Amino acid sequence: MTQPRRRVSFSVLTLLAGAIALGVAVAMSLDAVPSEQEVEHRPIAVDSDGYVSSQTCQACHPEQYETWHSSYHRTMTQVATPDSVRADFDNVVVDAVAGTPMRLERRGDEFWAEFDDPGWEGPASERPRIIRQVVMITGSHYQNIYWYTTGHERALNVLPAVFLLEDQRWAPRSAVVLSPPHQGVATLDGHWNAVCIACHTTHGKPQFETPFRSEPIASQAVATTVSEFGIACESCHGPAGAHVQANQSPWRRYTLHLSGEPDPTIVEPTTLDPARSSQVCGNCHSVWEFYDVADEREANTDGLPYRPGDALIDTRFVAQPTANGTTSEMRALINADPDFVRGSFWSDGLVRVSGREYNGLIDSPCFQNATTAERTLSCFSCHTMHKTAEDPRSVDTWAATHQVSVGMDSNRACTQCHSEIAADLSTHTNHATDSTGSRCYNCHMPYTSYGLMRAIRSHTITSPSLQESVEVGRPNACNLCHLDRTLAWSGEYLREWYDLLIPPLDKDQRTVAASILWLLKGDAGQRAVTAWSYGWRPAQTASGTSWMVPYLGELLGDPYDTVRYIADRALQTVPGYEGLNYDFVGNRGDRLATAVDVITTWRNGTQSRARRDPQLLFNADGILDTATMRRLFDERDRRLLFLRE
Amino acid sequence: MAPPTTSTDYVARHLRFGWWSLFVFLLLGLTLETMHGFKIGFYLDVSNSARRLMWTLAHAHGALLSLIHIIAALVLRTFPQIATAQRVVISRTLIGASVLLPGGFFLGGVSFYSGDPGVGIALVPVGAACLTVAVFQLARTSTGSTSTQRSGH
Repeated sequence: MTQPRRRVSFSVLTLLAGAIALGVAVAMSLDAVPSEQEVEHRPIAVDSDGYVSSQTCQACHPEQYETWHSSYHRTMTQVATPDSVRADFDNVVVDAVAGTPMRLERRGDEFWAEFDDPGWEGPASERPRIIRQVVMITGSHYQNIYWYTTGHERALNVLPAVFLLEDQRWAPRSAVVLSPPHQGVATLDGHWNAVCIACHTTHGKPQFETPFRSEPIASQAVATTVSEFGIACESCHGPAGAHVQANQSPWRRYTLHLSGEPDPTIVEPTTLDPARSSQVCGNCHSVWEFYDVADEREANTDGLPYRPGDALIDTRFVAQPTANGTTSEMRALINADPDFVRGSFWSDGLVRVSGREYNGLIDSPCFQNATTAERTLSCFSCHTMHKTAEDPRSVDTWAATHQVSVGMDSNRACTQCHSEIAADLSTHTNHATDSTGSRCYNCHMPYTSYGLMRAIRSHTITSPSLQESVEVGRPNACNLCHLDRTLAWSGEYLREWYDLLIPPLDKDQRTVAASILWLLKGDAGQRAVTAWSYGWRPAQTASGTSWMVPYLGELLGDPYDTVRYIADRALQTVPGYEGLNYDFVGNRGDRLATAVDVITTWRNGTQSRARRDPQLLFNADGILDTATMRRLFDERDRRLLFLRE
Repeated sequence: MAPPTTSTDYVARHLRFGWWSLFVFLLLGLTLETMHGFKIGFYLDVSNSARRLMWTLAHAHGALLSLIHIIAALVLRTFPQIATAQRVVISRTLIGASVLLPGGFFLGGVSFYSGDPGVGIALVPVGAACLTVAVFQLARTSTGSTSTQRSGH
């Protein structure tokens, strides 16, 4: 009788021992994951104020989570890990920085850098070296910007070089923004915590004791937290804590599923009216500033007060020179920074930098003049934040093409409203139906904005005009494609086809190709977008490329780093110049030697004799009119320009 | 087919049901594996993760319940003295569970709402209740019979 009891006891003991072993194993594995709260030297991600993070959303919305997870919104800021770091840190020496080369090193899963101390205020020759751990990354589409821990609380500073993902190379931080040459850029001690955090994280709280830069960063508390690194679900849908709690009830969920009613505990931006839905994007994609210090202090402590569905201007000043250029808020901004408007807008008030597309939208007639919600342009008219099942593209392709909705990379973007034009496209465009001249985007959203070392499409829907080029200086769509034609030439067609008046033109505007005027006489912003168009395939097809070389060659010596970078990339699309050995931030002598070599090679080759058009500054013998080039160059707009992308 | 009356009838019924049910869910399993093999988006895409989970559960529950039918048949054969009423309850609830549980999971995956299965999932708790009753009755039967046998010694 006792034997069976002993067997039972043995079984129970075995089970118990197994359970304990399993529990210990689980506990040990949990311990292996460091908690964010334990991290002391960088900003941390913690749930607060009803924000619950995308991990919670994933459980019920796996499809939406998946498409968001593949987007560049998610990776706007990442903690530096072996998975997120794209540059080589394996004992690499980076000489693309001012001063002594930067040395990069891996220590297990940590990334370290040794470089000149950017905060040193003594003699340059005595500038010490510092070694810091790289802990965060911003950007993941075109650039990786690496942030290191300063050692002072959670404050970050930026490495002196940026990693360019397409080129797989480092470049000085000052060289990847369009900023005046030889001025360098301000030290960014605490910049991420105070500035980047607003749009590169979800519900960020800088938590500085006093306003940023009101006192040295080392003398104040910096307790920065975010709900989540990157732009996550709750940036667009609002804090989801109440939504999660309410929907723990299956009865409630199925009542909503079956009724089709919207869930009032969460914001679905696409169901808001077009103005409010676009403001969800405008939360980041606009030029904005706090109304006053009190607003800044509130956001510093509690995070930005804007929630999806709110009126954006209730909580911040959205700078829009076309509408509020003379307000006290704008005057205050200009007083603090005289180049505030010029650094972001053309002189007619239209935005000229990337990442501020909401400004473009609200200045567009398709937004301003629409009479019904259905026919009002909004961000969601063309973009989608979650790739749909009907979209045949891969999720990576969708993400890499700016999350444009399926079919909206074509004329359908416009003809969904302007159906009468679609019915007889060439009558409207006066170009062959299947040509790039009949693509709505190319005429109404030309590449006139600048950002990330390239031109991007303007998001202000406009029609080409000579006025914008003559009075504002903004390259018009006609001459950004017909790079070899004059303003007068475009004006004649605009008058003939659309009855547009030709403004008074000076001799150069009548006789010299508009793009050459922008390249030689324009400011750095005009040069950058025009040089980019020289490498744009539709423009090359319309204009030819053989004549471009001396002009792009001239830009290889441009004083602005980004202009040189763009010119180099454009030149490498010209037959015969692929693989050109040129470093846009290399030694100045080498750069100029390459420029001379490019022009000499062109002059001695057959390309220089392919075109003899006078508007391209060739005389009847096919010789380049360098005297006129020099004259135009001397008339260049040399005002310093810093584009605040 | 006449309704079962004797213990032998019930044994035959559950053996028949168990084996044919196992065959059906074997085919379902093969179908799911085929969809895995050919990477069918209808089943494998993240957007269809609810379907994948529901149909996996339908397959697992269906196959296990098939085996329970076969075991139940063996129990009924081992303990022929079970009261008729109890036999009826066991048989009906077990068959109900075998239809409602995998059926509910399967229907829940046919049409669904993002992370929530379709309304067919409502059959699952009913099926679970049936299974609970059936297992309880089978356990009670086994316990009672064992006691009888032990007291007989």
